[in-house]
Amino acid sequence: MLRFWQKRIKTGIVTENLEFDKELQNIQKEIKDKVKKYFAGSLAIRMVDSGSCNACEAECNALSNPYYDLERLGIHFVASPRHADVMLLSGVMTLNMYHHAKDVYNQIPSPKWLITLGDCAKDLGVFEKTYAIKGVDLPVDFHIPGCPPSPKEIIKGLLEFLRGFEK
Amino acid sequence: MRLIARFAKDKKDFFEVIDVFDKEIKRYKVDKNNPVLETITTKYPSAIWMERIIKDEFGIEFTGSFDNRPAIKHERFPKDIFPLRKDFNDKEINFAPFEEYHYEEISGDGVFVVPVGPVHAGIIEPGHFQFSQAGEEILHLEVRHFYKHRGIEKMAEGKNPLEFRKIVSRISGNESVAYQIAFFEILAKAGGGVIPESLKRKQAILLEMERIIHHLTDLGFIPNDAGFGAALSFMSKLSEDARRIMAKITGHRFGFDVIKENMQINRKILNPFLDNLKKELEFFEDWIIDIPSLWDRFDTTGALSKQKAIKYGVVGVGARASGIKMDVRDNIFYEKYGFKIQLGKKGEVADRFKVRIKEVFNSIEMIQNMITEKNEEFEFGEFEDGEYMSFVESSIGELFMYMEIKDSLIERFYVRDPSFINWQAFHTTIYKDIIADFPLINKSFDLSYAGNDL
Repeated sequence: MLRFWQKRIKTGIVTENLEFDKELQNIQKEIKDKVKKYFAGSLAIRMVDSGSCNACEAECNALSNPYYDLERLGIHFVASPRHADVMLLSGVMTLNMYHHAKDVYNQIPSPKWLITLGDCAKDLGVFEKTYAIKGVDLPVDFHIPGCPPSPKEIIKGLLEFLRGFEK
Repeated sequence: MRLIARFAKDKKDFFEVIDVFDKEIKRYKVDKNNPVLETITTKYPSAIWMERIIKDEFGIEFTGSFDNRPAIKHERFPKDIFPLRKDFNDKEINFAPFEEYHYEEISGDGVFVVPVGPVHAGIIEPGHFQFSQAGEEILHLEVRHFYKHRGIEKMAEGKNPLEFRKIVSRISGNESVAYQIAFFEILAKAGGGVIPESLKRKQAILLEMERIIHHLTDLGFIPNDAGFGAALSFMSKLSEDARRIMAKITGHRFGFDVIKENMQINRKILNPFLDNLKKELEFFEDWIIDIPSLWDRFDTTGALSKQKAIKYGVVGVGARASGIKMDVRDNIFYEKYGFKIQLGKKGEVADRFKVRIKEVFNSIEMIQNMITEKNEEFEFGEFEDGEYMSFVESSIGELFMYMEIKDSLIERFYVRDPSFINWQAFHTTIYKDIIADFPLINKSFDLSYAGNDL
């Protein structure tokens, strides 16, 4: 146990150790303010994969690692669509996921926003239309590009989305 | 004999079904007017999904098969089309009326069913798990997949192999490098070239980097599913470090589109990272082994017996944790750089966890031995028509790829992801456990849904 605490103190808090990225620090501050202003300090996201390659999911998971720790800014991924404000949708929207994704969207109480994540949710990215792909046809409010978007790009995207509320 | 894959092809005048075993390849001609073939599922249980898929894609019926339910054709997928036949070229199909899928369920007094998925509570890929429960004890589990079925095989057909590379990169994100190497090997075979040793080494370095990232992520998530969040914080920091290194040496965090004819790997970036990782991992191992409440959950949980693993032909970490010597890297090339096969004993969550730790150490050692500044030129020749196969040990297990080239274009492309086999054996591991152990067992295998569904 002692060893662990030694390690813990030596490592410090990596979230705040942002010498390598001042830009991100400013972004995170602005996000926190905006979430406070528009979502009473709590923005709940329901992530749905409609047929991605799983890299977008890996990057979303990375948002919770000690470097980014998104929860700290008031943004959290929730287990139920009924707890969500935002649906984050990745993937090409396969035929087999079509109705399930729609169900999730319908279960989110209004007001709700749909953010698509990654190139293939927008225009299939490098993929091409096949019999098994339907494509996203839900009302999209914002798109975060990238293949996959890195955690930093996702954070930047979320900020852009929040800035949209000012208009 | 171990079954690697059973898949079909449309040969214009007839269908061909190909069985790939570890020791031989069998081919069957199937009449198009009466597409019937005998099942092999009674001997090879992992052929169940393979045959169900062939039935869905080509309309071939298997006699003697005990599971004829559709696999990729879900409730609203039209059942009367056969998308991998050559005469099917529709890009847009309409939904069919809802047709119920009958899950394998156990019924009885006090027995109830817990359906989980396809959309899960966390940030995970979609798949469905149907549990039959007696209280907390799991009586049966059916794993149902193919929600993410994108029709990759059809997408490949008629394409120039070089153009298809960017899609191969993105079939399964966490195994991208493995997929690219498998495809590269096929292209090299078809192009009549021999991949120079230095290029092979660089490819192998990236493959080991991918494995390190994957294992580190799991080493965090497995304890986290047992309620030990500190390990997740520790490991997700390390895996983020590793991903950033991957981005530094390849220009992409997942290594998409990086396996090329010419590659450079910077020793100055890699070496300090590996030295540090080794130290961190030594600390982690020392620390985590001392937490008895964690091993209480890991030990005896999710046991995959050696016997079952052999029966299903389980591959990768799953097989090695059960004590099976099964690794594509078990060859002269890798041995030269310090490869040592890492085996477990009982196939429990604890074994898979320990195997992952040992494999990261081994990967670090191999990368250190493989780093080379040498730059040998390589170029693909003209692609010759024919059938080509390749095997690569991805971070999950043995990846099998098959491609037929005709008139320099892709005639048939088939991949059997390691997950595809392991998902089918998965249900055999839960019978002595309670439903709360499921996330733990699931994470200890950490299989791909995207690679499985194609």
